[in-house]
Amino acid sequence: MDPLNTAPLPADHFMPRTDAPTPDLAVATRGLMKRYGRQIALTGLDMSVPTGKVYGFLGPNGSGKTTALRLLTGLLRPNAGTISLFGKPYTWHDWTRLFRVGSLIETPSFYPYLSGAENLDVLSASGPPTDKRRIDQVLEYVGMSGRAKSPIQTYSLGMKQRLGIAAAMLSDPDLLLLDEPANGLDPGGMVAMRETLRYFTAELGKTVVISSHLLHEVEMLADVVGIIDHGRLLREGPLHDLLEAAGRVRVRVAPEDMTKAAAVLREFAPDRPLYGVDSGDQAGWFTVGIAPARAAEINRALVGAGIYAAGLEPGSDLESIFLELTGRTGTVAAPPTAEPGPPPMGLPQ
Amino acid sequence: MRLIRAELLKARRRTMTWVLLTVALVLMGLSYLLIGLGMSALRGSGSDFGLGILEFPAQYATIGQFAFGIGGLLATVYVAALVGSDWNWGVLRNVVARGESRANYLLAKAAGLAIVLGIGMLIIFAAGILMVFLAGLVFNVPVSNPLRGRGLQDLAENLVLGYPVLLQRAALGFAVAVVMRSQLAGSVVGIALWLGESFLTTVLTVISIPNNLGGFIDGGIQQIGPVWYQFLPISIGGYVLNVLPGGSGLVSAAAGGGLQGLFLKPVPLELALPMVLIYLAVAIGVAIVALNRQEIV
Repeated sequence: MDPLNTAPLPADHFMPRTDAPTPDLAVATRGLMKRYGRQIALTGLDMSVPTGKVYGFLGPNGSGKTTALRLLTGLLRPNAGTISLFGKPYTWHDWTRLFRVGSLIETPSFYPYLSGAENLDVLSASGPPTDKRRIDQVLEYVGMSGRAKSPIQTYSLGMKQRLGIAAAMLSDPDLLLLDEPANGLDPGGMVAMRETLRYFTAELGKTVVISSHLLHEVEMLADVVGIIDHGRLLREGPLHDLLEAAGRVRVRVAPEDMTKAAAVLREFAPDRPLYGVDSGDQAGWFTVGIAPARAAEINRALVGAGIYAAGLEPGSDLESIFLELTGRTGTVAAPPTAEPGPPPMGLPQ
Repeated sequence: MRLIRAELLKARRRTMTWVLLTVALVLMGLSYLLIGLGMSALRGSGSDFGLGILEFPAQYATIGQFAFGIGGLLATVYVAALVGSDWNWGVLRNVVARGESRANYLLAKAAGLAIVLGIGMLIIFAAGILMVFLAGLVFNVPVSNPLRGRGLQDLAENLVLGYPVLLQRAALGFAVAVVMRSQLAGSVVGIALWLGESFLTTVLTVISIPNNLGGFIDGGIQQIGPVWYQFLPISIGGYVLNVLPGGSGLVSAAAGGGLQGLFLKPVPLELALPMVLIYLAVAIGVAIVALNRQEIV
């Protein structure tokens, strides 16, 4: 199996590469470029968000995710390139096109001296005509009805985040752009958000773009992912296809066996990086870059080394794809050296 | 209308609205307390001087100093704070991302603030008239009926001509806050421009005094002008306020009006009022152009 290709996807993979109308896409950007002075934030972004899906927009800090979302919402002007919203070209001056878009860009921003409900009331006065009853409805969606009359300055970060999501849904938009929506949410809030967004797409046929660095969260929610780094889209496509195409086997061992297991697993794909998770609820998982059909060989080799696998499954996880594409830390060793240094993720020595 | 209503809600719920109105009212109350105490002292000494001081429309000039003079300065700070906070709190991002026209948003904000300032002006005038009567009652000084003769017309002229001046001065803070994208910068620069113009016009008036000397030798000060610095934003408003019933040079003192009144010919109302309106329109226009060009990060 070839290593993951870090070049942009070919023309026939997922999206049309022309400026032609894109009726099946809620968002399409072509050659989108943005500079802040001398610093280039986006270097020709080609992004295609299919209608009615959850699109996970992934990238390391500073990769250009937020800049892209700002461009989509008319906060910034692109230096080059085009944007299409719902199949029609969108420019800086077509502000009414945003009537169908709800967004939460960066941190949720509100008037601190107004209550949550008052903030939504004030916000509903701008943009598309919004029914006042919708305010109660979205507050209910995000579980904030009980605190709707409290001033924002008394809210926790998670509550502000919930209100930000409510604000994004205020005008019943066809497209939701959410920048790090899980920030500050407690586990219950994250589950609720996931269910709400699922309902939003599956039941109402709306489109959601989530920019996030929480790969596990995106993996559970997204239908399609786009991975961006240095202002360029490295990979885009249905999540299932990406995971399948990665050609990997995931194996879980006891955390105390990880160092020993790493030595065994490296032998299977000496020219490809080996990923291991040494902490959290995913601790003990390795991702090995070999064909899933060879999973039994791995099990046999581990048993031969006195290690018993607690889990073995074909496919990949989003994190390993992300790390390999972006070239960030997380590899155990690739390829192994005679005297390996300390693993980037702090794998036990 | 939706946006204007929202602006009114924001202004009503903001503490600063009530704090600044209270400041203006307290200062006016202190002023009438001092006036009353002064008159009591004079009466105690057996002097009749100043007994007619609580007469209208003269008292409109005193109230106007708080509504348009100090009130104008407070309005500059207030408007700058309310407009600039949209950047500081990041709420402008929400509005633009919802597809609202930037120009519409600013115009609605300007209209909403104009209504708030108008209400503030009415409250100050109503409270001022009440304070005149209270001062008369407490210090046993006769007060003339403010509605007697031309009273109502005088009051209306004060309000109708003073209001554009108040708005124009506030618009200075509005434009600065939008251009600089900050409530603090808007307030500070607004005050600095106000004080800076006052200082500049005073200095330039002093420099012009030798030009008056010819008339002085002939037995009086010969006023010159109008000169260019009388048309600066704060000064020009002073010339509108000066012609108000009961008005005096004191009202325009914020722009060195005392000296200007002595050495410079006043700018006629027919010229001063249009200039005030032009400044108002230009300030709002500058703000709209600036916002339309700005990238919001």
